[in-house]
Amino acid sequence: MPIRSGTWVSSNYSKYGTSIEETNGMFCYGEMRFEGPETTIEYHVVSYDEEKKHACISLRQAEILEELANDEKLRNTESGIKPSEEILEVMPIFHPEFGRFMLEATPGAPFNLTWKDLLSVERNMKLRRVIAKQHMAATEAPITLPSFPMLGTKGVFTHPPCTADGSKSRSQFLPDEVINPHIRFPTLAANIRSRRGKKVAINMPVFYDDNTPRPFNDPTVDYDRHLYPEDDDVRNGAAKEGHIYMDAMGFGMGCCCLQITFQAKNIVEARTLYDQLCPLGPIMLALTAASPIFKGFLADVDVRWNVISQAVDDRTDEERGLKPLKNNRFVIPKSRYDSVSTYISQDPRLRPEYNDLDLVIDKDIKKRLMDNGMDEHLATHFAHLFIRDPLVIFQETLDESPADGSDHFENIQSTNWQHMRFKPPPPGGKIGWRVEFRVMEIQMTDYENAAFAIFIVLLTRAILSYGLNFYIPISKVDENMATAHHRDAVLTEKFWFRKNLFPPRKPTNGTGTPAPSRPASPGPVEKEYCLMTIDEIMNGSTDEFVGLIPLIESYLNTVNVDVVTRCELAGYLSLVSKRASGGLQTGASWIREFVRSHPDYKKDSAVSQSINYDLIKVIEKLGNGEGLLDEKLCGRLLGRARP
Amino acid sequence: MTTKCILSTGNIMTAGAEVIRKPTLEKSNTELVNSLRENFKASSSAPISASSSSNGSNNSDCHDKKLSPQEWIKVGLDGVTYIPAAVDNPEVLVEERGEYDITVKLFYLPNVPPSLRCQHTTDAVRLVCESLGTSHLDLLIVSFPNISFDAEDEDVSPESDVAEWARTYRTLEALHAKGTISRIGLSEFGTTRLDQLLPHTKVKPSVDQINVRDCCVVPKPLILYAKQRGIELLTHNDCTDILPAETLEEVLVGEFGIFEKGVKMVPQWVVKYTAVIRSRGVVENKGYIAMIEAE
Repeated sequence: MPIRSGTWVSSNYSKYGTSIEETNGMFCYGEMRFEGPETTIEYHVVSYDEEKKHACISLRQAEILEELANDEKLRNTESGIKPSEEILEVMPIFHPEFGRFMLEATPGAPFNLTWKDLLSVERNMKLRRVIAKQHMAATEAPITLPSFPMLGTKGVFTHPPCTADGSKSRSQFLPDEVINPHIRFPTLAANIRSRRGKKVAINMPVFYDDNTPRPFNDPTVDYDRHLYPEDDDVRNGAAKEGHIYMDAMGFGMGCCCLQITFQAKNIVEARTLYDQLCPLGPIMLALTAASPIFKGFLADVDVRWNVISQAVDDRTDEERGLKPLKNNRFVIPKSRYDSVSTYISQDPRLRPEYNDLDLVIDKDIKKRLMDNGMDEHLATHFAHLFIRDPLVIFQETLDESPADGSDHFENIQSTNWQHMRFKPPPPGGKIGWRVEFRVMEIQMTDYENAAFAIFIVLLTRAILSYGLNFYIPISKVDENMATAHHRDAVLTEKFWFRKNLFPPRKPTNGTGTPAPSRPASPGPVEKEYCLMTIDEIMNGSTDEFVGLIPLIESYLNTVNVDVVTRCELAGYLSLVSKRASGGLQTGASWIREFVRSHPDYKKDSAVSQSINYDLIKVIEKLGNGEGLLDEKLCGRLLGRARP
Repeated sequence: MTTKCILSTGNIMTAGAEVIRKPTLEKSNTELVNSLRENFKASSSAPISASSSSNGSNNSDCHDKKLSPQEWIKVGLDGVTYIPAAVDNPEVLVEERGEYDITVKLFYLPNVPPSLRCQHTTDAVRLVCESLGTSHLDLLIVSFPNISFDAEDEDVSPESDVAEWARTYRTLEALHAKGTISRIGLSEFGTTRLDQLLPHTKVKPSVDQINVRDCCVVPKPLILYAKQRGIELLTHNDCTDILPAETLEEVLVGEFGIFEKGVKMVPQWVVKYTAVIRSRGVVENKGYIAMIEAE
């Protein structure tokens, strides 16, 4: 049942609208205190069968979460009692995820923007991993890898073993048992399938190796199953030649990400950060690439993004433009999980030319928001989110008054999985305007995860301090997103990027007073950006482009940083810098190389159980901080990482 | 006759691409020289109404008319020449004063009699306060000429140097007593130098700055020594030769025609200031002021 409602946004925004006028654009809650960024880490729980040399995903999420919930130290934290000083920090909080083999952990408190807190990021990540491990069975372990290599493969890949015949996903690869049994999650999967009118179809290009059959037709696809009507999908060509075919939401929502949420000082800063980080999305996606294997095959992509995008694509044939519109309202060019399609800031630097996509919006909602005092950019953003139907609605919330909560708004907001998320303050709380950077791939070690999280944090500080401008037409961000998927894009591809990041000098005249502002007559948009390698973007090119890492160093040279912190930050920045220059490998390259040099690999793109077992064992080891100094093992991945 | 001149950069955080240097490629005094040059350039150009330099295109020079030096520099009532002319209503801090950490680093330069440092310190602090619209600074770091920290080896400094440091330090203590500065910092002091100076101080230094290139090789004894005495070891990336007279001459005489050829210019001191919004780590204002004597 489609509910088209922007009620919460419009009724609450009018409230915010008033505040904005009253405080001259500086909206924030009276009691709100500024809090720093928060990093979310997602884990796969693996389970080993040491006899058969199998590494599977463990479906014991619920039991593990229960163990965690029973843990006294963690419970105390949630009821507000701080653990003793020796534990060093507020205990992390664990959450369930879509996959029954996944855990999500957030730090007990966001870190502040002090150097001490910044350096605690990695320690906190390690703590989360240790605590998670402590509450698992001896044969289980948490690993941080975007996609579990054997997910959906023929043969056993879950513990306990299950058969793929469930009615929710109707997948021929993924049993419904991999879905978190909380009613919300199987319903999500079922509703996406039923709204779409068929199963989702995820096709990732296969990596052709020496012995890979040409053309490659996914040998795991069963064309003769007649269990559900959707079994016709493959007979109607859902599985593309040359591609690894996947057919369930779990393939996407079973991926793990590294997400960072920033709290801005007010709505203006939040909108600025949203826009400025947006063009960085594809760059950071390529730079953090760590997903070269899907369903037991080496893929010709290095990142998970499109897998998730296709896994939750609930658009009908009409909405996808395959049939003329009859029952649906819009033709929608993107999945609900996709790159951002519109900038939202009121920044004068945002030229109309940058919002160059033919954006689909619900005009009624836009009008209603604007009638209630919302400005055009933001109203357009929300009216774009609200072209989607809710995926799951609980009966008992249907009559909720819009003033009481944001459930209906969040229902739409939280199932618009774009690469940035603009988060209005939740009602009643003391949380302000936030922006989430959602694009990065989780890394195998906490050292890498901390490095990328801290890089982004420092970059936001440089953006705000120097007034940096990363705007390029948003269609170019889309192009970059596609480019970022290519195998080894970080070293072999070029990306659209803005040439001059700096604000123009404020005009002054001879008497030292600011000159009257002059009407801007900026040059053509096309001259503002060009194609650059990620090495150039990150490290700068000799004289043309300054580079993001030199900019961060310049920022660090301007603020007071103690020697210990600076030394640690230098290590993190060096990792990011070398990933960009090719001095170090991305996780994806390293994993691909691991598979291709494994004695059991037959050069046919297929990853066997034995290869997977060895790979997962090594990934777990590195994740636990062991073997980091083993030059042969991970010298090309981590460089001289600290143990 | 000697002319005192005050050179200033204005807020270089918003000054555009020209002053952001690449730490790896350039010498660190480039930042000061570049930002002076850019500020002079901006101040000496008269904008023509219809032209534009906005949105990333830096084509102001081709449109703007050059002003003569008299039009953009100004001799103040105190007889000091301000290059460019002092701003009537300086860029004050946006948020409340308590939100900021204002750090100021004062470079005493070589070839300047140490006896003048007391006056120079007072002048520099006053000018920084004026340009930020504040009455007090959170941290004042002083940098003495000709000393640099060496992770490997450190000499004992002559007693005469120590006596000069101590004398200067008393000026800092006086500013601290008046509430003008909250904390005092030193630069490039190793354990030996700290040990020589500290007995002469009443208000202990809170900070000692070490060059960033040594941040991973700070000797253990110094870390321990600093920790025991509550001294924070911070990093900096400043050049020892922060304002070379030859570069200065190039800019003031060659590029902007402020002085005629043959005028002798002696830089007296340089001060760098930064205003950082503490809770958010955002640098709102950063700039340099320098005093030179020309004759």
